[in-house]
Amino acid sequence: MRVRHHVGRMAPVEVRDLSKRFGSVLAVNNLSFDIEAGRVTGFLGSNGAGKSTTLRALLGLVRPSAGSATFGGRRYEELERPSTKVGAVLEDASFHPGRTARNHLRVLATTGDHPFERVDAVLADVGLTDAADRRVGGYSMGMRQRLGIASALLGDPEVLILDEPTNGLDPPGIVWMRELLRAQASRGRAVLVSSHLLAEVAQSVDDVVVISRGEMRGRGTLESVLGDDEGLVTAVRAQDNERLTRALQAAGHTVKRSGDGLLVPGASPEQVGIVAGDAGVYLVALTPQARSLEQAFLALTADGQPA
Amino acid sequence: MSSLLHAELLKLRTTRTFVALVGVTLLLSLLVVVLTGLLSDRIAPQDARNLFTADFTGLFIMLLGVIGMAGEWRHRTITGTVLAAPDRLRLMGAKTLAYAAAGLLLSLIVTVTIMVVGTIILSARGFETVPVSDLADVLWRNLVVAALVGALGVGIGALVRNQVVAIIGVLILGFVVEPALFGLAPDVARFGPTQGAPSGIQDIEFFGEDSDPLSPAVATLVMLGWIALFFAAAGVRLRRRDLV
Repeated sequence: MRVRHHVGRMAPVEVRDLSKRFGSVLAVNNLSFDIEAGRVTGFLGSNGAGKSTTLRALLGLVRPSAGSATFGGRRYEELERPSTKVGAVLEDASFHPGRTARNHLRVLATTGDHPFERVDAVLADVGLTDAADRRVGGYSMGMRQRLGIASALLGDPEVLILDEPTNGLDPPGIVWMRELLRAQASRGRAVLVSSHLLAEVAQSVDDVVVISRGEMRGRGTLESVLGDDEGLVTAVRAQDNERLTRALQAAGHTVKRSGDGLLVPGASPEQVGIVAGDAGVYLVALTPQARSLEQAFLALTADGQPA
Repeated sequence: MSSLLHAELLKLRTTRTFVALVGVTLLLSLLVVVLTGLLSDRIAPQDARNLFTADFTGLFIMLLGVIGMAGEWRHRTITGTVLAAPDRLRLMGAKTLAYAAAGLLLSLIVTVTIMVVGTIILSARGFETVPVSDLADVLWRNLVVAALVGALGVGIGALVRNQVVAIIGVLILGFVVEPALFGLAPDVARFGPTQGAPSGIQDIEFFGEDSDPLSPAVATLVMLGWIALFFAAAGVRLRRRDLV
């Protein structure tokens, strides 16, 4: 598991016991996780789960009620030339509509003491060279997302944070985003990407942090959190489903009806077959069904007790 | 601070707002000077001096500062701006200096232009022109006022944040509240941030015979006090505020 607490070694991004309360609403509750270099970490949760609040606390835009969020041990506000350490694209990234993309990036380059050559380089990286001298007010959503990415890449940062970066992107744009995330990680950057849609990031992330209602629901590699044995479901149909249900329940399994058969979450076909054999129940069908990532994600982010 | 200041000046140069405000201010100021110069039967040097002082620069520069700062919220660019410059007080400081510099530039352009055009009209009509030393005196006073009201506009914009409310507030203060105070309580009006104290720096008598304007030095200190007040109030609010 790569997303974890470390002792004695400082991860590029460390979130420790982070909580944020807005009045009576506890938006983030005691979150702790690390983000590793060279890996893409998906920060997953449904809308309103607290993802954006966590990212904003990480970036010093929101003052944590408790805990800390640091980059190499330093809060964002304490970083010298933060654009060389952290690049961020937030969900509501906005630009002055009357300013061109090139001038927007030149302003950021001036603030961060980056040469203007970097402006041309990142415009080319995100495919906006031809539109660089158009006013941003005329940009499509996808072009704005690309400009946001260009802004984040300007300082060639060690950590890249993207909040719902696929919002507003068309399918080719989503593919482009996935490739960009992988490319950044392959260059040794720590990439943290939030999304409420697992399907849009599942193909590009190595690790996941799953939250719901501001609380941790799972963290680790994608497989360990969303695709481990607990995700197995066995579909079974017997000559006498009632007898098999009783036998499985007696053996400690949960059984759900599904059409003319049964579903046994958390049990392998072998386990179900042994129970059926011991009970003398003839089976008509026995099929392993790995629970989909989406189902596992929904199960994790559904209301209930944290993992 | 130098990078931040340059970035803020670049922001100013890369939208149409500054150019548009320079154009409008120049046009209105020229209109007043040309019409007065052409239509008046007699213009004494003191009248001409006042004419070169009473331009529209101050008001527009204050609005420019308000728009520049409050626009960060209007266009929701404040998040990106703070990400690039996490020290929010330094950011406000850089913006304040940038708009003071913008005020200087705008006032320089407008004042010199109306002085040249006004002097040409006065000469053409055979009126006595304003001596160069007096023109220089008017110029530096205009520049000081422009720098101070530009900085004050940033403080007002940062405190109010809502661009429309801030603009309307400045207009009401400048055109209603302070003029009303001139009649009701001129001793209080002398300290006003949009008309009173600037008039002291520019040595204009807006107050009738009952009350003299503040001396330039005192008026400058009063303006600096207004700037410090708004800067401090807005700074405290900006530092504590969650940007969600």
